[in-house]
Amino acid sequence: MSTRVYVELGRRPDEPAPPPRGPSPAAIIGLVLGLLGIASLFAIRALTPELGLPSLPNTAQDLLTLSISVIIESLPFVILGVVLSIVVQHWIPDRWISRAMPRNPWARRAMVSFLGMFLPVCECGNVPLARGLVLRGFSVSESMTFLLAAPILNPVTIITTHQAFGFDDGILVARLLGGFLIANLIGWVFSKHPAPESLLSSGFAAECAAGEPHGRGGRWNRSVTLFVREMGVIMPALFIGSLIAGLVQVAVPRDVLVTLGSNPLWSILAMMALAFIISVCSNVDAFFILPFASTFMPGSIATFLLFGPIIDIKMLALLRTTFTTAVLVRITVLVALLSAGIGLAVNYVF
Amino acid sequence: MSSDEKHGAHAHAHHHEHGGTRGQRVWDAWRRWQGLALAAAVLVSTLWLAATGQLVLYIHPRYVVFTVAMALIGVVFVVAGLVAGRGATEGEQPRRLARAASLTGSVLAGALALALVIIPPATLTTATASQREINSTALGEVDESVTEAASVAGASASFTVLDWASLLRQTSDRAFYADKPAEVLGFITPDSDDPENSFYVSRFKVTCCAVDAQPVGVPVYLPDWQGEFSPDAWVEVTGTFDTNPSRGSAQPLALIPEEIVPVDQPEEPYLY
Repeated sequence: MSTRVYVELGRRPDEPAPPPRGPSPAAIIGLVLGLLGIASLFAIRALTPELGLPSLPNTAQDLLTLSISVIIESLPFVILGVVLSIVVQHWIPDRWISRAMPRNPWARRAMVSFLGMFLPVCECGNVPLARGLVLRGFSVSESMTFLLAAPILNPVTIITTHQAFGFDDGILVARLLGGFLIANLIGWVFSKHPAPESLLSSGFAAECAAGEPHGRGGRWNRSVTLFVREMGVIMPALFIGSLIAGLVQVAVPRDVLVTLGSNPLWSILAMMALAFIISVCSNVDAFFILPFASTFMPGSIATFLLFGPIIDIKMLALLRTTFTTAVLVRITVLVALLSAGIGLAVNYVF
Repeated sequence: MSSDEKHGAHAHAHHHEHGGTRGQRVWDAWRRWQGLALAAAVLVSTLWLAATGQLVLYIHPRYVVFTVAMALIGVVFVVAGLVAGRGATEGEQPRRLARAASLTGSVLAGALALALVIIPPATLTTATASQREINSTALGEVDESVTEAASVAGASASFTVLDWASLLRQTSDRAFYADKPAEVLGFITPDSDDPENSFYVSRFKVTCCAVDAQPVGVPVYLPDWQGEFSPDAWVEVTGTFDTNPSRGSAQPLALIPEEIVPVDQPEEPYLY
């Protein structure tokens, strides 16, 4: 009962939690059915190749392979993000965070943009983590700054970008400074919003309002509850995003984009379209785009590396779990304008 | 902290954690089981693919250990989620239109999950190879080690299609290739400029996962090859590069085959 009182007051109970109840009959049935389900999934997966199912047409098979590869590549990062989010929400004391953070909003956002340096998660993992930060009392605009900055200002991305481009043509510098600027500017723009809760999707806003300690019982129980909830929200979005990314790959010829590469303006627009469609993770997108560097202007490469990490088909599907569509449209337009501007500057300066 | 005010202001508006309407309970249960089921489908498939050495069909080998470790953590959480985690609510039940959209999404996601579990895993095919145009992007700067190795007698025997394709882009001087016999392995993609007499021995180069796969290949000249071989078949071709006799092909040089042997798809079909 004591936990409920704390919930109503909106304060997190600082342990100890009430003693956990014994497992209910429903939980035992759930466990047995679930374990049977997992075992039969294994059995089906192991047996189907033996059946000699008729093979699919090439295009359908490739659509499957491409979509599944995005899911399999992203899921470990999503799990890592959820685990970090669990740690932030349930295992780090509040005072650590509040003590470490400066009070000035600009300084706070600047600090938040460097959180990625300690949490080198790819951008799919950042969404659950950002949700965790909001639930933990970070403002909505601060979570946006984190979402925009962390995929770029993180050690893995910096290393891979440096490996791919060195310091040539200012691409690395444009990416790091540009990422920091875009994240802080957009954070500042949204911090001016009079009702930040209205920026959140209705489902997530309700979650925030319901208070922090989701589920009953001790920390372990709350951690599992958080995992289950994040999976319920993110898995369908990940599947749909990957399916669309796969579909576009099969349907839109890539050479259409490549022919646009040599014009200062068109190359930038083409690179943004490419980044939007292919939905590669920021950790490795530098390697992906390296082969284009010979045909595309450096500014357009910088634009690709600024725009792609946060705005693409897969990420918009994931972000929709947290923000309203109107907010996503505004973020997309702002990031597109800013990254295109930085790309144009690089094109004309270098 | 601002969270206190925010939570305080809305706390009493949400009591559904302990009940709520029937529709709300059904909705919560649906979200919860859907998430767990989709996660279980991916996690089980990932672990099975890893156990049978087929995870490399989808992702770069450097991610395999990380992926398996995270999948194991995921399985532990999913099993724990079957017992605990009942308080999980997914906010308010959405309105009718949003519910219809979410139902459509569920059907699509479910179909993809089903395909993930029952369709045998496969590499990318010629459909993607021709869609992405062979050798259009993956050949960046020519690898210096390849150029050096090319000057060592006999080194060329171990070159992959990627090495050869990079060299061919660098030089089309036939004297350079005269004393360098090639032995390459790949799948057959028809040359769209001259599909009757010419095909590519091709592979995909993967930087991260299959979604960024770039096709690379070496042109092979063999009139009426379709009588003997079919697209997508894996072959090993031995021969030497020489002027391409094909009228239609855009490639100045082609591999003139001495022997073409059908082979099984290699365990690691992609190049890295």
